Amino acid sequence: MVTKEMETLSPEALSLFGKPTKAKLIERVVFWGFRVGTYFVLACAASIFIDIFYKGGKTVFQSEYPFINVEFLTGSPQTLHVFEHDGASYELSDSDFRVFKEEAGVSIVSDTYAYSGGGIWPCIVGTVLLVVGSMAIALTLGILSAIFLSEYSKPGKVLNAVRLSILNLAGVPSIVFGIFGMGMFVLAFGWNVSLIAGWFTLAFMVLPIVISASEESMRAIPQGLRDASLALGASKWTAIRTNVLPYAMPGILTSSIIGVARVAGETAPIMFTAAYALRDQLPWQGLEHWYDFFFQGVMALPYHIYVVSAKIPQNEYTSRMQYGTAFVFLFIVAGITLISILLRIRMRKKYRW
Amino acid sequence: MSLVTDKLTTKSLIETGELYSEMTEINRSLINISNFDFFYGEKQALFDVNMDIKEREVTAFIGPSGCGKSTLLRCINRMNDLIDVARIGSGKITVNGVDIYDDRVDTIELRKRVGMVFQKSNPFPKSIYENVVYGLRIQGISRKSKLDESVERCLKGAALWEEVKDRLDTSGLSLSGGQQQRLCIARALAVEPDILLMDEPCSALDPVATAKVEELIHTLKDRYTIVIVTHNMQQAARVSEKTAFFYLGKLIEMNATDQIFMSPEKEQTEAYISGRFG
Amino acid sequence: MNEVDPDNRYDLNSSRKSFLGITWEQALKGLFGGNALVSIVVLGLITLFLFKEGVGFFGQYRESLSLHRQSGLEYVELIREELDSFSALEKYLNSIRSMQSEQLTAEGMEFKEIKATLREDEEFFYDFEDLGYPLREYVLDSNEVAIAARDRYEEMLNLRVHRSNLIEIGKTQEAEALVINDVDLEQLFELLKSKETDFIEINRKFRQSIPNIIEQAPLYENTELAAKMSRFRELSAMFLEELPGYEASLLSWDRKKPIGIGESFTAFVFGNKWVTNSSIQDWYGIAPLFLGSLLISLIAMIIAIPLGVGAAIYVNQVATPIEQTIIKPYIEFISAIPSVVIGFFGIAVFGTLVREVSGWEALSWISFFPMSERLTGFTAGGLLALMAIPTIFTLAEDALNNVPLSYKEASMAMGSTRLQTIIRIIVPTALSGIISAVLLGFGRVIGETMVVLLCAGNRIEIPRFSEGLGVVFEPVHTMTGIIAQELGEVVNGSIHYRALFVVGLTLFVISLLINYMAQKIVIKFQISRG
Repeated sequence: MVTKEMETLSPEALSLFGKPTKAKLIERVVFWGFRVGTYFVLACAASIFIDIFYKGGKTVFQSEYPFINVEFLTGSPQTLHVFEHDGASYELSDSDFRVFKEEAGVSIVSDTYAYSGGGIWPCIVGTVLLVVGSMAIALTLGILSAIFLSEYSKPGKVLNAVRLSILNLAGVPSIVFGIFGMGMFVLAFGWNVSLIAGWFTLAFMVLPIVISASEESMRAIPQGLRDASLALGASKWTAIRTNVLPYAMPGILTSSIIGVARVAGETAPIMFTAAYALRDQLPWQGLEHWYDFFFQGVMALPYHIYVVSAKIPQNEYTSRMQYGTAFVFLFIVAGITLISILLRIRMRKKYRW
Repeated sequence: MSLVTDKLTTKSLIETGELYSEMTEINRSLINISNFDFFYGEKQALFDVNMDIKEREVTAFIGPSGCGKSTLLRCINRMNDLIDVARIGSGKITVNGVDIYDDRVDTIELRKRVGMVFQKSNPFPKSIYENVVYGLRIQGISRKSKLDESVERCLKGAALWEEVKDRLDTSGLSLSGGQQQRLCIARALAVEPDILLMDEPCSALDPVATAKVEELIHTLKDRYTIVIVTHNMQQAARVSEKTAFFYLGKLIEMNATDQIFMSPEKEQTEAYISGRFG
Repeated sequence: MNEVDPDNRYDLNSSRKSFLGITWEQALKGLFGGNALVSIVVLGLITLFLFKEGVGFFGQYRESLSLHRQSGLEYVELIREELDSFSALEKYLNSIRSMQSEQLTAEGMEFKEIKATLREDEEFFYDFEDLGYPLREYVLDSNEVAIAARDRYEEMLNLRVHRSNLIEIGKTQEAEALVINDVDLEQLFELLKSKETDFIEINRKFRQSIPNIIEQAPLYENTELAAKMSRFRELSAMFLEELPGYEASLLSWDRKKPIGIGESFTAFVFGNKWVTNSSIQDWYGIAPLFLGSLLISLIAMIIAIPLGVGAAIYVNQVATPIEQTIIKPYIEFISAIPSVVIGFFGIAVFGTLVREVSGWEALSWISFFPMSERLTGFTAGGLLALMAIPTIFTLAEDALNNVPLSYKEASMAMGSTRLQTIIRIIVPTALSGIISAVLLGFGRVIGETMVVLLCAGNRIEIPRFSEGLGVVFEPVHTMTGIIAQELGEVVNGSIHYRALFVVGLTLFVISLLINYMAQKIVIKFQISRG
């Protein structure tokens, strides 16, 4: 290590080159520990994604045209019949099986697997309906409340208490909202297991999140902007409309997308309020009155996953259904979340006070 | 660590050093900066800086905001390493003859010898005592007598001892601004550096506190080499032997302080000193 | 509304339009305020509703427990305890037999030969078993009487309610036609009490015959078997010593002792049984569920805290900028995986994997491996850790980010290593934020439903902490899980329904406490950044 150049230096100067000390060794070891831990977490999560996307992909996609398993995405869950006929083995959904039987004109004995045939279209529809309805309620109530709390209310003890309780409610477990929705909407209001009961339950679950996030993004806007606008003769609402909401919008938008992901992903609140394990008809079929639409239960992706993975006997055929459903569900929720994360990163760069 | 001039140092003595040295004693050059270019990302912050900083002298960096004086200061103990986009273009800085940007140089050892006091006083949220002994503790020194001795010595060195000796257990954040800054100086002294870099140490202080810190700098220069960045030209005139004037990332002029203020060679220097810009 | 004079620029009267004396501004403010009011009222309503539905439970539970006492079921249970101890003795004895047969098989004996060998001392075992018959019969009979008494009493109560309902809607005739037999619980109980002498007699026989029978116990040459047999003798002696205790507890038991609301409360909080739809008596004790939730959360936190905080420190202090821009959103992204998907992954992959790993030769030195169950507290806890990590990571990283850069600079400028700076300056400064991050992670874990419902194994029993670390690999049930599992089947207003509401209320209170604490800690220990 001793070079010519170094020989000319004083020992004091040489000590600048440092020596491996215990502290440095410990530092290196500990940092490696952190690094390994961090990547371990990433790997664990990746293993879930890979497992579900790989195995689920086999259900959702296929090697022949049209490459996507249309029946799975557009059909209803059915019983799967597995049988042999004329030396060939078949796996057919219940409806196809009946047609096949009629054409063949003979009685065929088949092994049946509940929930393993058909598709998950009603679940997708149900989830979308639940999300749209509950977010409409939550955003209306939430954003308007946030405007009031941030812009109109007088600061003081009451406001702080309200804020604190809203913040606290944001951490209440979803099952508690589930039991509340069941007791309140399903039983006390007599709405039964219905779309509307699910909407309100989910809406109240995300309401605290929407309110506190929206309010926070409004409060983050410098008072100077409002003052400047008011000083130019704008009314309070004009000041809010032109100088608060536009800049707070990104924050509000992000928080509402997070809310969407949460609403779409939760199972516990809809288990007893809105979700059916199996329903033949799609929500718009067979309605006597238009308002019946709101008072019908629907199938939903998360509940469907729960049903097919916990309530029915497991075998290779159900496993296909499970992974396929999980794939579609994860794809939807992860997609929404990804949008919100990307949006937030972009917004952070754009607005800095 | 004492800085007794040994035979090696005479070799590196720069003849011209005597010319503008006010001190009768011949000082050797401790920090040498040559052809130094520095970048923040794509933006060049320093252009071809050359200078010698003498041992046990106070050197002041002056210049308008954004002229690169703080940047250069932070290069001397490689604090810029903490900024991801910072990089050196060309040239080198040597301390005691060693190129501090050499790969083999240990920034930790470097920073033990080149202490720093920041613009905004930044005591840790710990007691006064713990603030001072922090540097010793991280070196593994934990003997109470040694720490006590060091706390007293450094606080005295920073002219703070009389004011805080009865409340060493209170939080460093409970002190006034000027006291906090002197605490930070005491903290830096505890590591026994040779060089003290001061980045506008008085900019956040009131005139009384500023006077105290300046007084402190006067007493410290017997033992330490001090480089101080300041906005305040009077301050530079009061405390320093040498003054370097920076403008737009370039070292415009460096000379004995009297000379800079009385008869600057460059027009820009004169313009700045006489208050026409900056 | 005033006419605006274009020449007078200083007419400061409002020129805004109003409708019914309300300006557009005021209307808007009203709209916002109204919405805020609705939101706050609704959120308050949730709390009230949970309380309203839950509080009734304690009264109902008290009635149920009172009936349990008055009908004599509690009395029978006291006797059943003796029977349970005796059954435990029998079980122990049988374990000696099966051990012997295992040993013989290991020695390479044929099945027939084993049978013959075992038959040699068959008599002793049968005799001992026979001793239990009278007691068993006695318990069964008493139980039947007590249940019949309770059922008839309940039927009477139901009919009374039915009658008053009929009268209310005006069907007096039907109401009068109802025949309601008054049931006198005391009289029925006397039936039980009168047989108490039989019980004393049974115990007397025990005292007499057990020592006799034990003398005929086979003497084994095998040391292990002999040790077990001598242990059995000790246990039987202990059983005999306990007999007076059972008798005394019967005597001191008082049918008329009233059960207060406080007792029903303690029975709920400390009760170690959660039994529903039982023919004998339903028990609603939250302890097994609460401890189950706690155990799973602890497992999850033990895994998640080092990983979450470590990752936060790594990303904030150590990682390169490129790593930072990738890892941060990635970990945030993990929190988006729906819990039911994680639960499904637990059933489909993780549970099996854990059990397989536990079967590895290399791990056979661990006493509780290989594990027999696939779905255990550990399975659920491990997955919950993955859900808690993003919460802990994000908040802890924020806290670290808020540590002023000047602290770091000051520390580094004195020549400390990065690790020293992290440990001595950055982490202590951010500690309050990190603690609250951990608390919120804990809150998320204890309130999580789907993962525990799917992966925890759902066995309602107080986790056996006495087994040391092995308790981690036992199936448990949780508060959230029980609600999800049972809420679908309950009758509106029934005691079971209300019990679930109280469990929900407990969860609600716990989560509020955790959140509140997390916020307080952040505010209280916030450093001044002056």
